Amino acid sequence: MTNETTATYQDELLAKTGVRRLTPDKTKIFEGTFSLLHCAVQGDNLYRGVFAVLMFPIRHPEQFVSLRYTDLEDKEQEIGVIENLHDFSEAAQKLIRASLKKHYYEQIISRVISIEDKFGLLFFKVELADGNVERNFMMRWSYNSAEEFGEKGKVLIDAHENRYIIPDVTKLPAADQREFTSFIYW
Amino acid sequence: MSETEGVKDTLLSVDKIPDVIREKALEIGFSDQDHLFSIRADLDLDGKAEAVWLVVGKTHLAAIGLAAIPVMVCAPIEIASIQKVRSSQTVGSAFLQVMVDEAYVDVVRYTNGQRELFSRACLEIKNLVAGKPVHPHALTSPSESFCPKCGLPLPGRKADCPRCKGHGGLFSRTLGLMKPYKWSIALLFLVMLIGVTLDLLPPMLTKMMVDKVFTPSEGTTILSHADSIHLLLVVLMILVGASLGRQLLNILISFITSLIGTRITKELREQLQSKLMGLSVEYYNRHSSGSLMSRVLYDVDYFQSFVAQVAQGFLVNLMLVLGIGAMLFVMNWRLALLVMLPIPFVAIGTTYFWRYIYPRYYRLSDSQSKMYQLLGGLLNGIRLVKVFGQEEREKKRFSDSARYMQDTLRSLQISQGIFNPIMGFIFGLGGLIIWFSGGQMVLEKYITLGTLMAFLGYVGMFYGPISSLTMFSNWLTGFLSAGQRVFEVLDSHSFLQRTKDPIRMPKIEGGIELRNVVFGYDPYTPVLKGVSMKIEPGQFVGIVGKSGSGKTTLVNLICRFYDAHEGQVLLDGVDVRKISEEDLHRQVGLVLQEPFLFRANIAQNIAYGRPDAGALAIMNAAKSANAHDFIARRTSSYDTMLGENGAGLSGGERQRISIARALLCNPRILILDEATSSVDTESEQEIQKALSVVCKERTTIAIAHRLSTLKNADVIFVFDDGHIAESGTHDDLMTKQGIYHKLVMIQTKLTRLET
Repeated sequence: MTNETTATYQDELLAKTGVRRLTPDKTKIFEGTFSLLHCAVQGDNLYRGVFAVLMFPIRHPEQFVSLRYTDLEDKEQEIGVIENLHDFSEAAQKLIRASLKKHYYEQIISRVISIEDKFGLLFFKVELADGNVERNFMMRWSYNSAEEFGEKGKVLIDAHENRYIIPDVTKLPAADQREFTSFIYW
Repeated sequence: MSETEGVKDTLLSVDKIPDVIREKALEIGFSDQDHLFSIRADLDLDGKAEAVWLVVGKTHLAAIGLAAIPVMVCAPIEIASIQKVRSSQTVGSAFLQVMVDEAYVDVVRYTNGQRELFSRACLEIKNLVAGKPVHPHALTSPSESFCPKCGLPLPGRKADCPRCKGHGGLFSRTLGLMKPYKWSIALLFLVMLIGVTLDLLPPMLTKMMVDKVFTPSEGTTILSHADSIHLLLVVLMILVGASLGRQLLNILISFITSLIGTRITKELREQLQSKLMGLSVEYYNRHSSGSLMSRVLYDVDYFQSFVAQVAQGFLVNLMLVLGIGAMLFVMNWRLALLVMLPIPFVAIGTTYFWRYIYPRYYRLSDSQSKMYQLLGGLLNGIRLVKVFGQEEREKKRFSDSARYMQDTLRSLQISQGIFNPIMGFIFGLGGLIIWFSGGQMVLEKYITLGTLMAFLGYVGMFYGPISSLTMFSNWLTGFLSAGQRVFEVLDSHSFLQRTKDPIRMPKIEGGIELRNVVFGYDPYTPVLKGVSMKIEPGQFVGIVGKSGSGKTTLVNLICRFYDAHEGQVLLDGVDVRKISEEDLHRQVGLVLQEPFLFRANIAQNIAYGRPDAGALAIMNAAKSANAHDFIARRTSSYDTMLGENGAGLSGGERQRISIARALLCNPRILILDEATSSVDTESEQEIQKALSVVCKERTTIAIAHRLSTLKNADVIFVFDDGHIAESGTHDDLMTKQGIYHKLVMIQTKLTRLET
């Protein structure tokens, strides 16, 4: 057996015990009472209060969407994973996207106007991509407060634990990039 | 900047609800009499920044958005129909949800900045649903994470505000550290003053030599050849003396600065280490050990260089600039003004250089630290790399990291390579201007050649200190950030609250009681949700439950690594918060799943908690823990030096040493947190054999996944999602046919499969 066939065989084996894939032919997604997302899977229960979570939010934001619900014991359970959102109807996609929008609240930064260092905190003045509005926030000046986001991006976590994302630091205007990397140099 | 943004401004009392919201609330069935509290959330359910009001009445709750016209975000829900209430955290925001008809419904959404407020609201709504009294004033009590005065985030819960506490400026605090050395500093200052005076001497002597010996000008006495040679020798001797004196003073300056600097850093390191030992476990959850090590090892070094920079850099340069400047103006003010011409270019050039190049120094240090981390990971996990055949990939990763460092270093060196010649050119230009103007003055006999030579000598000494002074502010920036990090640890208040008069308990009986304990590592997400339990002295107690159910958290509270947010943990009826720490830690022994052994010999590891223990006591503890025989088989027995974290011993052996370590302290309460789960069956049997003997006469709490080890427990508590779901003896729980029974059945099946 070549390495490739071994891997394929292994993948097939794992698929039997791995995640359940939700396909449009066997999965119905709709809005029900209290505007809750409902999901009915052929041969399975009807799930209410369903929510969507991205399994690879940075690498594959349109793929591998896990549909989940909270059971009566308050435990989060997975119904299954949608491999590609585009396989589903427009209406279902809209509902899932709305659910994803509820799960992620992140501000995208398009410009870094100024950064000031005081009391061990960094005071940021930035411009947000959404509407080009200016926003001030403060974050602790520590490694934990500026994490990697993909290959070239950064997630800034402010003092309130709100998330601000710079998807690609190298795409900031040169002056902004210099200002940013003077403080967030890691 | 919104420095004052905090929890405080998100809280509004009931009477401050906007009229439109009140009217809308009245319209949908609320009444002023029915109303309990209302709070403003900062997002609508779709995540748009909108003010949405959560209105809670005695019989209903609802959410109303404050758009152009009030909109219903969540229609009124009857309190009686609510089954559960929770605050559900998502990525970057959270929802207050209520369970109605067995499904959670979103009521309001808020950003993480409002988590504290809404977790309190959630608690009050839970009280309301459970028919308990509601305390709306709890919503407006001060935040524990933000300064109630200025809203600045605190370094830890209940810690002092870095702004309001007013520790004084970093600079003055650093100077304060030097107070004990004030006489040495005064001497240093005097020595520097003499040194600078000596520095100013050579150009003046050059002037004398040129004007009196080589080119005596008209009107001056012309010396005979012998007198000229004599004067030349005298001047040269003075120059040699000045140079020698300067070097001796330099040695003295280095000696004093090094004495002060090294002492300050030593004292600071000791203070930091002592502080770190006193900080609670919670502090270590928030700070990586790497960052703390870097503060103790590297950031402290800035304080030594602070002394050197201030003494040998800033002060010397300042004195030189002032002294030389004065000499230049005294000699010829017109030429002196020309000397000042390049200064703006030097200042601008240096500022530009540091502003744009200095961050590259940060990056260089980052690239080095990333490379160290990568290499460290590789060496620690070398077996894993080999077993998965990933050597080539790791080579590439390391090569990428090395390239990053190379690029950073190259870019830094190129920048320096360009900057230094440019500055050199500007300095040279300054000299050329003096050559030109001064030369003209000499030709016009306006000044002597000696004056020009002295002038050029001073100019050569003038620009260097100017450039250094400009760079000093940038160096200071680096020092300030390092100093900030050091003082942040020193000012940290993450210890557990210490009672003023701790109760001494030299001999704990071993009775443990938890009364309605609520605790979570994240204060808004409780892990233990109202746990009550009682353990009698001397009992052998088993704790069972899935991962994340709260078992280890229970141990953390009994050991008082953390304090419960609500409720009480009592030992022999006394709240652990009131017991003397020394008595508590001496009498509670803990054996963890992953035992930690120090780089020391076996005997020292066993006697870690009792360094004065004699050889016999150590052997007895080892024998009781079934460790004696394998230790005896080692070439150096108890004197065998162990590698990093017990390298050279098997998992079972390490575990038995850690049990011996716990036993040597003869703890009244012995906690075994999965102590045998990572060892093989044979080792486990040996450890169990040891434990069955040593657990007698003390309270023992054993957390275990292998339920067979708990069969003889006096009582078993089954944890599930932060609650005690079941309790009783093995037989009781088997009869109950609940969670424990299910777990035993699963394990029995697995054992059958294995055999």
